[in-house]
Amino acid sequence: MEIRTEQFVEIAKKELKNARNKQFLSVLPLAITISRPRSMQSFPDPEAANEYGRAVRAEAVAGMPELLEEFEKNALANGAKIVWAKTAEEANAFVLNLAKERGIQYVTKGKSMITEEMGLNDVLQESGIEPFESDLGEFIAQQLHKPPFHIVGPALNIPVEEISDLFIAKADMKEPTTDPVKLGYAARLYLRDKFHHLAMGITGVNMAVAETGSIINVENEGNIRMNKSSPKIQVSIMSLEKVVPTMADAMHMIRLLCRNCTGQKLSAYISIDSGPKKSDEVDGPEELYIIILDNGRSEIYQDIQAREALRCIRCGACLAACPVYCKIGGYPYGWAYSGPMGQVLNPLLLGLEKTQDLYHACTLCGACKSICPAGIDHPKMFLYYRVQEANSDKKAAGGFITNKTAKFFDLWRWGTTRAWRWKMAVKTARPFVNRYAKDGTINKTIKPVEGWFRTRNLPAMARKTFHERWAEINKKVTSDQ
Amino acid sequence: MKTVSMFIPCTVDLFLPDIGEATYQLLKRLGVNPVYHEEQTCCGQPAINAGYIKQAKEVAKHFIEVFGEDGAIVSPSGSCVCTVKFHYPELLCDEPAWLARAEDLAGRTYELSQYIVDVLGVSDLGAFYTGKIAYHESCHILRGLGVSEQPKKLITNVKGADFVAMKFSEICCGFGGEFANNYPDISEAMVKEKCENYIQSGADLLLLCEPGCLLNIGGYLSRNHPDKKVMHLAQFLNDAIPFRGKEN
Ligand code: SF4
Repeated sequence: MEIRTEQFVEIAKKELKNARNKQFLSVLPLAITISRPRSMQSFPDPEAANEYGRAVRAEAVAGMPELLEEFEKNALANGAKIVWAKTAEEANAFVLNLAKERGIQYVTKGKSMITEEMGLNDVLQESGIEPFESDLGEFIAQQLHKPPFHIVGPALNIPVEEISDLFIAKADMKEPTTDPVKLGYAARLYLRDKFHHLAMGITGVNMAVAETGSIINVENEGNIRMNKSSPKIQVSIMSLEKVVPTMADAMHMIRLLCRNCTGQKLSAYISIDSGPKKSDEVDGPEELYIIILDNGRSEIYQDIQAREALRCIRCGACLAACPVYCKIGGYPYGWAYSGPMGQVLNPLLLGLEKTQDLYHACTLCGACKSICPAGIDHPKMFLYYRVQEANSDKKAAGGFITNKTAKFFDLWRWGTTRAWRWKMAVKTARPFVNRYAKDGTINKTIKPVEGWFRTRNLPAMARKTFHERWAEINKKVTSDQ
Repeated sequence: MKTVSMFIPCTVDLFLPDIGEATYQLLKRLGVNPVYHEEQTCCGQPAINAGYIKQAKEVAKHFIEVFGEDGAIVSPSGSCVCTVKFHYPELLCDEPAWLARAEDLAGRTYELSQYIVDVLGVSDLGAFYTGKIAYHESCHILRGLGVSEQPKKLITNVKGADFVAMKFSEICCGFGGEFANNYPDISEAMVKEKCENYIQSGADLLLLCEPGCLLNIGGYLSRNHPDKKVMHLAQFLNDAIPFRGKEN
């Protein structure tokens, strides 16, 4: 998958003008103001349920190395094969070699963010192995060659007419339709045929249970289940942080995941695999490979603050809660992960230099933090990245942080730590700031804050600041006494 | 008489001193003695948000020295209160003596409406206004401090005022300090929607408790809908309480 995080501003500008997206995005906040609270209310004590979930994630991440070992031991005992991959390349190469070894022509895939992160589809395609996305939204996004618009609903923004045309061209649909049921049916017919002759299915993992060695997938379409039950070979790929200690923990996190993701108490399908088909069983894959992908996470783990990012369960609630995401949609974030969770994760996975806009394009409004079932403090993470960026300003190329910014804050510190210096600075700046002021308002652009003046006026700097007014109030008070 | 120390944020000091004066008058009318330390400047929030914590640390120490001994510190800005309450202890976490002072200070710092309602126990100021009022829930006041009922109580108790619901009142207005300048396209889309929701609410006045939001929403309205009014709650209340003589 192409990384376009550095084109954030450009893509955002374009997306802001996209009327269709706008219409869809404008109703998205209702998911947070109406459906989420409604579904959370089905817990006897919603706040306690949240707290419990946050604690589970914090504990699971803190104990990740030991939990992964426990998971491996138990999954092996179940008959699964465990593959540790240090990098995305390693994981891709493993899947590719396995497919080649077994003479596989095509694979089907359940929707998974981790394979987006790895860029697995491109790798397979380049070697002539066709990957068919089997999640309806992912299938559409794939056929349109678009990155996911939303981590849960990758094609939520695509107009139904466009989907109809696409299905006629790519999925053997005969007549145009805007009926979602008919469209779903067309995709189903097309994909069923693929499942029918399937040799290898690839899925992600929502949770991996250390105590039982099981992997769990949560979905609404049943396609992941098909991916896992139709083929001889099942390959399920998980990143390190998917592991949780116990089945009870996993069950609680699933309750939270579904409520935060789609406002459901439970999704339509939840499948738990504990190893491949046993000799006395009729269904299931003959071989189950679980790839445990690191891709930078063990390094993230070493940093106690950064580690918090690994708590994310990919519920997508923070996207709908984010006022910036709800204006620009998922494309500007430029990679697999979008919205606040992407802004937290991408800088760690891709590096701070390539993702400057992601941790700056935030008003620190805290809406994401307030609802995150995994207990991530997104604004705090952004500030943490900004601190690191400021500390390395000499190295950073372009962006907001330059030596000029550092000098500005040095000067600002000097002016702010003594009131006489503050007042002196005010006196010096006032005529400059107010040079275009008319009737107490500035409506002409002042550099270097032209961004502000693009759509807004600013009150002129006060003829008398509060400091100056206070001197007068004080005099009056004293003389009255 | 109870003495309270006014923490007047730099935005108010420099651009919106009327809010500072209204804060002073309101507190006086409530029978407390508001004092103002002239040594105060800015709380350091811009530097913290930009990642310049070394500089912010020194500013935080200056603030603590200025306000350190006060019984109660009250500010007409929720985000600046959040800086003092939540960011100072984080900034100073590796200097135990300063950390102790910061934590101590955090417990004594209040947003103005919170102080009036929760500490002074007053929710009706005897104010009058004829018209429809909407309220914008500023991010740091609502989610940072958990303050929402307090300002609404003060507004609903204004006689003659009709408090109307505004759609998405709790969604950010797009200010975010450096954000408004660095991402003008996104910020514009956000503040535009905020103003549209205000206009649609049918209110003729929008109230809020955050100077940053006031600069943003006010700046947008002044450019695009000059007939629409937005005001800081302190200033509104102070104007709406009838003059009873012997005040300054
Ligand atoms: S960061 Fe939190 S709210 Fe956002 S997707 Fe992850 S778990 Fe969900």
